[in-house]
Amino acid sequence: MPAEEMGKITSRTRLIFAVSSVVFLGVLAISPFKDFRREWKQYKRSYLRFAQTRADTKKLLADYRPDIDQIWLPGMNVVDRCTTCHQGITQASLSDKVPQPFRAHPPIPHNVRDWGCTVCHRGQGPATEVAEAHESTLAWEQPILPIRFIQASCGTCHSADLPQTPQLTRGRELLGELNCQGCHRLPGIERPAMLGHDLTKIGTKVSREWIYKWLKEPRTIVDKDGNVAVNGYETEEEPRMPKFRLTETELRGLSGYLSVQKARAGAPYKIDARVVTAWSKNPDLIPQGELRFRQMFCSTCHSLAVIRAGETKLIGGDIGPELTKVGSKVNPDWLVTWLRDPQGYLPHTRMPRYGWSDEDLFKVTQYITTKLTDSDLLTGVPQLGQPTEDEIQLGHRLFLEKGCASCHVIEGLNPQKDFGPDLSAIGGKNASELEFGAAKIPHNLVAYIQAKLQDPVSVNPVARMPQYNWNQADLDAITIALLSMKGAPQTSALQNLVVPRKEVAFRPTGAFAEVYERYKCYTCHKFNGYGGDLAPDLTYEGSRAQRQWIVDFLKNPQTLRPTLILRMPQFNMSDKDAATLADYMTMVLQHPNANPAAVDAKQFTPTMVALGKQLYEVKFQCQSCHTIGGTGGYVGPNLTNAGGWLTPKWIEAWLKNPQSLVPDAIEPRRNFTEDEVNALTAYLMTLHQSIKPQKTASAAAARSRAAAQGAGQ
Amino acid sequence: MKFRRWISLLLMTIAPISGCRKHPEAPKPDPLLSAFDTETDWTDAQKIIPLSYQQSQGKRIFYQQCVWCHADATPAGPSNRSNLTPVPPLLNDGATLNGESEEFMLNIITLGGSALGKSAMMPPYGKMLSTEEIRSVIAFARGVAQPTYQPPGRPASQYSAK
Repeated sequence: MPAEEMGKITSRTRLIFAVSSVVFLGVLAISPFKDFRREWKQYKRSYLRFAQTRADTKKLLADYRPDIDQIWLPGMNVVDRCTTCHQGITQASLSDKVPQPFRAHPPIPHNVRDWGCTVCHRGQGPATEVAEAHESTLAWEQPILPIRFIQASCGTCHSADLPQTPQLTRGRELLGELNCQGCHRLPGIERPAMLGHDLTKIGTKVSREWIYKWLKEPRTIVDKDGNVAVNGYETEEEPRMPKFRLTETELRGLSGYLSVQKARAGAPYKIDARVVTAWSKNPDLIPQGELRFRQMFCSTCHSLAVIRAGETKLIGGDIGPELTKVGSKVNPDWLVTWLRDPQGYLPHTRMPRYGWSDEDLFKVTQYITTKLTDSDLLTGVPQLGQPTEDEIQLGHRLFLEKGCASCHVIEGLNPQKDFGPDLSAIGGKNASELEFGAAKIPHNLVAYIQAKLQDPVSVNPVARMPQYNWNQADLDAITIALLSMKGAPQTSALQNLVVPRKEVAFRPTGAFAEVYERYKCYTCHKFNGYGGDLAPDLTYEGSRAQRQWIVDFLKNPQTLRPTLILRMPQFNMSDKDAATLADYMTMVLQHPNANPAAVDAKQFTPTMVALGKQLYEVKFQCQSCHTIGGTGGYVGPNLTNAGGWLTPKWIEAWLKNPQSLVPDAIEPRRNFTEDEVNALTAYLMTLHQSIKPQKTASAAAARSRAAAQGAGQ
Repeated sequence: MKFRRWISLLLMTIAPISGCRKHPEAPKPDPLLSAFDTETDWTDAQKIIPLSYQQSQGKRIFYQQCVWCHADATPAGPSNRSNLTPVPPLLNDGATLNGESEEFMLNIITLGGSALGKSAMMPPYGKMLSTEEIRSVIAFARGVAQPTYQPPGRPASQYSAK
């Protein structure tokens, strides 16, 4: 450009200037336009339009504001803008079939204004874009928790089990049942005294071949749906022993090492020679043994495979192992020793010590070793013979390397604790803290946990974690339980909210403890929240039942409920044991609401009894659910022997408020007056039914007296 | 021109391929999670009735408290229903229950049969269940009713079209 033209405004310059200003203006206009097009603003507007189509527009738009809505809870570190788009979450009329993001939140006990959203749902609270709020980005690592795992969030604060979270409860149960706490630190999961079996004397129980087979494949069949069959029979529970991916040499080494574990094994128990000679030639021996096996109610805890209508079914309980082929598994000498004194072999076993006579013992063991067998049990297992010194050395090394000592005890070996990683904060881990290896899975926590559980080697080729088999429901349940473990709460407000797990323990002492431990009452019954749930909760049994009834029942448990398959075993209990248990129950296992001073059996008058009978039969029609002497309903317990079974204080407290005694009782709480309660109690206390022979004898005597009188006239 | 045609051809082949994303397999429904989401029609095992949230709460209470007398099969085996005179109606008995108003249903569950001149065998649940819980049971009954329950229409307004 020539110098003299500088500073002159030519038409060309004007044009450039004009065009660039228009462009500049256009560029400026983009900014408000982009702001107008912001995602959350679009949702705001579409909610306005959506509300117009509904009948209750006014209510839906009552607190509508066109700007960002934010829940700010400084104590919990919550800055949640989710309600900016999810505008209908508190509107009950938007509950079903309303398109997201406007659908109402299902009713929950927590108010969203007090809790925010990300506390449970995770995701990024302050984000204002759909993708940023729900998914993880480079800077924000918490993706939203898929809704099918939402129960994990309940578990973060509620360490105690909730009725509304069955999956979480199941997951925690699995973590305990499958001995995950053997290798991992898992807060809130109880560590039992015995995780795996004590293997100190395993060599006296089973052969080396059986150990080999068991180590190679603890589950024999796993179909494609993950259903497990043990020894060829379907069971719902997997064996707790997982599969350790062992090579042939390792199998030989470990089985060799275990088969020589026979520490302090005494001489086998000799059954009285007279019993053996009397019975061994008797053709009734095996049928008699089977009969005793049934009479002792072994099936309450152990199942047997039975062929019914062409289908093989397992009949019996699952507290102990199924016994269909146990005769081919265990050494007969070991079986006798075991049945006599299970705790002598396994100190922590739940098997009770029965008062066997030599005769019963001989008959039952003969039945087990003759009938409960399978000659094909060890097919496919090579003949292993005596292990060499090298094999034993290798087995010893492997036992520690594979972490076997985390669950199994061998005398002389130090138990391994915290063999695997600490999982107490696994649920709060960011994706960057996880090792995904070569696995082709989405890089988030849920996918990681599920991949690791399903196939530990997929995310880490040298993983020591053994192989489990899950069905989808269990996999999800255990994922939920792990996701709920987010470590100690980070903020003060959340710390205050944590609902602690009730410390459940019932550790009696003295004479009762000895009997209680010997018969393993807690395997089936609950005491103070501790124990099994196969049989009734006995926490307040002393308030409920009369002492004499308890003694009679313990001596002969077969008199109640004759139709059940799972029944209280016949312990052959001595008078002294029964008295010890009954004394303890009536003195200690008392409910605070059942007040003995409030009711005195002596003040019941015949008028009250008559009134009670009338109330029972006419006004309240209790017979719709309860039976007395053969007539009535069968929802509630049979009251024919109420007077010989229940204590008056229990009846009274129960009538006033059943749920205060048994929280999940079916009987509704009613509005009885004090007089009605007393009258009903008086009436129920008159109901007696004796199963003792005296009564029939006296009845017979009365009959014969009447006959004699008739003859006299 | 030829070059441009090739480019457009290439784009047209790529475009449909981008749609071929592998969709993740839908997770199997969890029996624990869906236990209260649906109810099998009592008269037709093939038909599954979806339940709303309120109805699912009602189902939970029904199977805890009511099933013993208002159904023919119970979780514990035989039902107590055949044992009672008068025989209580089945929960899905629309012919009997559809005609009863919301208020009547609420009252008979809350106060019991004798308070409304019916059999005293129906006990009162007012001290045990909250009004909300009782309403959810009624909602569940309405959901499974055979014949199907039709909610009463609004009372006709004097301004409504004839």
